[in-house]
Amino acid sequence: MGSTDATLVFARGPLFYTALMIFIVGMAYRLVSVLLLGWKRDRVPNKGSKLRGVAVTYAKGLLIFPFIPWVKKTFRGNQTTYLAGGMFHFGLFVVIFLGTAHMLVWKSLLGFGWPTLALPIVDFLSAAAIVAMIALFVNRLANPVLRLISGPSEWLNLLIVFLPMVTGYGLTHHRLLGIVALPYENLYIMHMMSINLMLIWIPFSRISHFMFYFFSRTYHGAQAGKRAVMP
Amino acid sequence: MTTTIAPAPARAAIDSFIHTTGSWVASQLDACTRCGICAEACHFYEATGNPEFAPVWKVELLRRAYEQRFTLTGRAKLMLGLDKPVTDEDISHWSPIVYEACTLCNKCAMVCPMGIQLGPLIHDVREAMAEAEIIPADLVEAVRKQEEIGSPLGVTDDAWVDRIEWIADEWEVEIPIDVKGSDTMVAFTSIELMKFPENIVAIAKILNAAGEKWTISTPGREVVNFGVFEGNPDRVKLFMARLLDSAKELGVKRLVVTECGHAYDLLRWTAPNMVEMPCEVTHIVAVIDELIKAKRITLRPGAFDEGGTITFHDACKIQRRGGHIEEPRNILKLLAPTSFKELDRCREESVCCGGGGGVIAIKEADPLRYKVFELKIRQMEEVGATRVAMTCANCRLQFTESLQHFGSPVKAVGLSHLVAEALVEE
Repeated sequence: MGSTDATLVFARGPLFYTALMIFIVGMAYRLVSVLLLGWKRDRVPNKGSKLRGVAVTYAKGLLIFPFIPWVKKTFRGNQTTYLAGGMFHFGLFVVIFLGTAHMLVWKSLLGFGWPTLALPIVDFLSAAAIVAMIALFVNRLANPVLRLISGPSEWLNLLIVFLPMVTGYGLTHHRLLGIVALPYENLYIMHMMSINLMLIWIPFSRISHFMFYFFSRTYHGAQAGKRAVMP
Repeated sequence: MTTTIAPAPARAAIDSFIHTTGSWVASQLDACTRCGICAEACHFYEATGNPEFAPVWKVELLRRAYEQRFTLTGRAKLMLGLDKPVTDEDISHWSPIVYEACTLCNKCAMVCPMGIQLGPLIHDVREAMAEAEIIPADLVEAVRKQEEIGSPLGVTDDAWVDRIEWIADEWEVEIPIDVKGSDTMVAFTSIELMKFPENIVAIAKILNAAGEKWTISTPGREVVNFGVFEGNPDRVKLFMARLLDSAKELGVKRLVVTECGHAYDLLRWTAPNMVEMPCEVTHIVAVIDELIKAKRITLRPGAFDEGGTITFHDACKIQRRGGHIEEPRNILKLLAPTSFKELDRCREESVCCGGGGGVIAIKEADPLRYKVFELKIRQMEEVGATRVAMTCANCRLQFTESLQHFGSPVKAVGLSHLVAEALVEE
């Protein structure tokens, strides 16, 4: 029993639960502070159906554009962002929800588990997500618009999401890389620490867009729906 | 500790930003991932490659004001010097960006992966600019004319009456004025009155042929609302009241907006949230489509099939924002079933003409406006169009002027005009 083991126990135990609590409370705070600013009632008579617009916009946003982005004409001018952005999110969701190791974490938190994908698939997608992140980073450096709109927090966001991903990928390939890399426990500690950092960071950053996505998408769909145009 | 009080323009703008920020604005700003895709949708960015024209950058000051006032991170970042405050220089710097390089066409919202409504957010930025009184001089002048004379083009009451009488005489068409108890009140723009009088003739002929009980109104003679372009809610209401009070006075069932994009967007989709509406509001293209379907007017099918390819330009505020995407197509498919061709990017994804949102009224914006129009010329060349139809007089002004500027042979025509030409007298 060395200090490494104790650190690992701390990182995946008390520290992880604390980070998780900060994440949950922080996101709740963000949600409430936005909601408290107040919504105005829309008294405009509809031409089409708001509900239909909302349904169509989610169907397009979640099922069509991430997989066949070229149906959108703006795709031509922004291929890296579309492809790498789509690949990154897809890989991330698969790894977090359908990777066996992560499902077991969910199971310990929620009390129930679910079937997962075979390791080679998850492994391939996590590698793809890492490559996509590097592409997004280079794109942010190279594209004049992205350079202009990126402040310190945008660069930090990329780094803070990148760390858990590379350390996690390193863990699955430890046997292969073990000869040159760190001991397994040390890598595991780094993975857990970077996850804890990310969880604490999310509520204070734009990574929290996953929550506000549902606001803006719903609103967009409703606006298009009431005008009877395609969202 | 010293408190720095922001000097006048920045202070006024920040107050306006804070005032307009409700849950709606906050959730939209917080959803942004700063991916930059909106830039590709913007015709001003596409035409110039200037990164400052990216829609996300146009709302930068609103974002700063919101985060620094309402979020912990924003306040911390400001304190640590990781984010910039909103300064007087910023207001002067962003004013031309939001007034001259944005037509509020909202195409950016259609491509945003998060579905953020950038157009309305940029309009909020204009409201702040108006509060700070940093507005292009030409826009201020047009607003003044509309407030004092009644028309942004400076058409006086007497000049208006003379002009309407002249149009009615010259084209031998009946134009009912201030007829109480009519079903429909039609409101034209000064642009139609002064530059495209044949459009007024066309609409009059169509409504007369259909036996519609319609009228125009002397006090509600101007549908254009420069308060919207400027971003001043009080003047928006003042100019709107002239129309809505007239509609109420005349006791009409509906107000028909003719070829004016932003006025339609305002009266149909915004006004009910601002004031009490005396009647329903619709657009002339919807009325024409309805009259054809109800067989109240008969058109000669294929009337415009000769004379080369005819295409359609979608106006941002009447098609994408207005909802009248199918109606003009129904009409064109009847009038030119074989020669009607769609532009490559059309319908909701249409490329704006570049003259909307008041841009055409600002002299300094001319070079930019022409640059943007090159996209439109390229689009029309791709389909080999000889004629381009549209339902917005502001677009048509931009088309007519810019086509002439570039010496293009393409002819810009109003859709109502085509319909009137194809009318079968019964």
